[in-house]
Amino acid sequence: MNNQNSSTPGSTLPKGILEIRNLKKHFEVSKGSFLHAVDGITLSIGKNEVVGLVGESGCGKSTLGRTLVGLYDKSSGEVVYQGEKLPSRYASSDFKKYSREIQMIFQDPYSSLNPRMTVREIIAEGPMIHKLWKSDEVNEKVGFWLKRVGLSADHMSRYAHEFSGGQRQRIGIARALALEPKVIICDEPISALDVSVQAQVVNLLGELKRTMGLTLLFIAHDLSMVRYVSDRMAVMYLGSMVEVGPANEVYFRPLHPYTQSLIASNPEPDPEKERSRTHTVLKGEIPSPINLKPGCRFAGRCPKAMTVCQSVDPVFREVKPGHSTACHLYA
Amino acid sequence: MSQTFSGDSGVAEAVKSSDLHPGTGAAFNADDFEPAVRINRFQGLSRPSLSYWSDAWMRPKKNRKATVSLAMVVFLALFTLVGPFLWRIDPSAQDMARISEGPTFAKTAVVIDEAASWTAPELSGIPAAPTASAENLLAPATLEADGVPSSQAVRLKWAPVTGASAYAVYRSETKPSGKVGTSELGVPIGEVDAGNKVGYEDTFNLERSEYFYSIVPKNGEEASKFTTLRVVLPSTIALSAAQALKSDIKVGETLHLSAHPFGTDYLGRDLLSRLMSGARVSLFIGFFAPLVMIFLGIVIGGAAGYTGGRTDNLLMAFADFVLALPFLLFMILFKIAFGVGAGESGIFPMLVAMVILSWPSSARLVRGQILQLRESEFVMASKLLGARPIYLLFRHLLPNTMGVILVSLTFAIPSAIFTEAFLSFIGMGVAPPTPSWGSMCNDGIQTFLTHPHEFLFPAIFISITVLSFNLLGDGLRDALDPRMRSTS
Repeated sequence: MNNQNSSTPGSTLPKGILEIRNLKKHFEVSKGSFLHAVDGITLSIGKNEVVGLVGESGCGKSTLGRTLVGLYDKSSGEVVYQGEKLPSRYASSDFKKYSREIQMIFQDPYSSLNPRMTVREIIAEGPMIHKLWKSDEVNEKVGFWLKRVGLSADHMSRYAHEFSGGQRQRIGIARALALEPKVIICDEPISALDVSVQAQVVNLLGELKRTMGLTLLFIAHDLSMVRYVSDRMAVMYLGSMVEVGPANEVYFRPLHPYTQSLIASNPEPDPEKERSRTHTVLKGEIPSPINLKPGCRFAGRCPKAMTVCQSVDPVFREVKPGHSTACHLYA
Repeated sequence: MSQTFSGDSGVAEAVKSSDLHPGTGAAFNADDFEPAVRINRFQGLSRPSLSYWSDAWMRPKKNRKATVSLAMVVFLALFTLVGPFLWRIDPSAQDMARISEGPTFAKTAVVIDEAASWTAPELSGIPAAPTASAENLLAPATLEADGVPSSQAVRLKWAPVTGASAYAVYRSETKPSGKVGTSELGVPIGEVDAGNKVGYEDTFNLERSEYFYSIVPKNGEEASKFTTLRVVLPSTIALSAAQALKSDIKVGETLHLSAHPFGTDYLGRDLLSRLMSGARVSLFIGFFAPLVMIFLGIVIGGAAGYTGGRTDNLLMAFADFVLALPFLLFMILFKIAFGVGAGESGIFPMLVAMVILSWPSSARLVRGQILQLRESEFVMASKLLGARPIYLLFRHLLPNTMGVILVSLTFAIPSAIFTEAFLSFIGMGVAPPTPSWGSMCNDGIQTFLTHPHEFLFPAIFISITVLSFNLLGDGLRDALDPRMRSTS
């Protein structure tokens, strides 16, 4: 497993299939004031690996995903795919160039499918743009991908509105898979679905990963689901990475106080244990991501905050083998 | 026990009763706990999918208002395009004998000779000077028609009244019952200014088949007594007028006159055929101006929404500027700029002014839609699949704004028709003799009190057209809203 943070940004040796180095995405909200949505993320994703990315709403998970695929321009930092640096600002030819390498599955199964297109047109869109399929084999290929994601080939002449949320998400997955990419960014693919359908979609993704050798970045806010699907887990807080490690390690032995409280807030399925558990509720508000002050971002809410936390940014470092965090407690 | 559903009947195999009692010993073995074989016989059933437009078509059919308005729009189209071929009366043909006539259907007239000139009988031996006070005057002893009354002239003569210096002649369409000096005797159509002159010729607008004439003697003031005569007019036509319609007609023959179901106007022109040719002007502007306007709106709004940033700001600032321009002033300026003088038909400048001054509303609409769609996930997904901007615009963005565009088009049509009517009404639009509904209203309103049909018919047509396009727009908006699409 590759999870060493790139303390040497100049190193050319590719460690994973996707290397994110000190990536920043700032939005200008008004003249001179910026929203630091993604603020210096460093992450390495190995081939055929599932990395789960968690964090509360608004911490920049989706922005990170969209910046990775080029939907947002990068403010600074770089993303290296198989040793090749991706452009910081995508032209439409760049999208075409990388579309067969990196694809994305979107959060909202209702707005991610064009209501004016049939399922056949939606799934065949990518291969037709790339002229991969001949027009007489479209039906056969679309049928193949529909069966692959657990739908019937009869569904191809229907419109998106005729399907349920889970079925729509499968169509979205089939659309992304039809170009046979190597990396798929899953931007909260299950958060708009109900629990039984979540399990179906997660199992489908797991199966596709095994059979097609996919690499997944699985963005979600459901901790136990992320632990279930991913090999490694990354935790984000307010645009920055607080902890990265093997999924079980992060889930059961979290290092960072934020991860600890995040996991503690996850309800225990056993009611006996749940009742006897002590609940520590985080105090305070998330600071505004606009014009951040120096110091640890979590310092204002951290139960273990020290004086050094108020003024010095913690360094992201490996604390245990393969398990890194950004906290002064482990400095 | 293994329950296998048979493919044909779908009924479970009969279960032996002994199997139902576990107490009877080894009735179960491991095979019994195998899951039942599921035969999915209904897999192949699938109905054909409703396309977006077939679904959109099915919904207004359930909406009665929209259906009725659609039928009205179809009727208007037929009225304008097919109507002139069925109703072959020249809209500019004038018939001075039938001015401001109310709605009439098939009518026949007997051809009579030209009315010879006639002078009222003047009696000698009766002083023309006043000799009695008004309240003592008697009613004329006799009152009769001189000759056969016709729709050209009604000639009256009456017995002289002693002491009268003048006679007032009243005409009414109903039998008078009341007093002198009020409207109950009808319209005062004339006065004979001598006591010994006992006759009157009425040639004024004899349209009805029956009139009541009352003669009131006067001496300074009108007397309180009067005599009334009922005159029945046969439908007649003068020889010269009849020959204009049919050259070989002779006196005494019967002539079939053209029917005017909506009546005639102040120049005797047929209102129905004028409404048809007026509809051509009104609907031409009503369709063409919005179409060009929406096209401009799509181009400008699409460009602003898709490029965003500085281009968007500039284009929208320009749109705001155009919206702030006063419409009427620019209408006049355009007329002058195109060299259209007063009293000339200015359809083209009117069209240009309407398009140039009204595109911002549709441009804003399209821009808003494109701006919203540009950020939607299916556009992002298509971008990630390698789609080029032109593909995105024509495959994803514009098809999804079609509903909004169509709805705004159906709302722009009535407003354009109304604007045309308004401009023609105030004399800024089409000029005579070209008819348009607005200019017909303008002509009609001057005689609204006496001949309301001249104003009412074009006004009703404007109202019905505007209403049905508005209702159709409402129905279309509901029909094209994807959120309201039926899933069943």
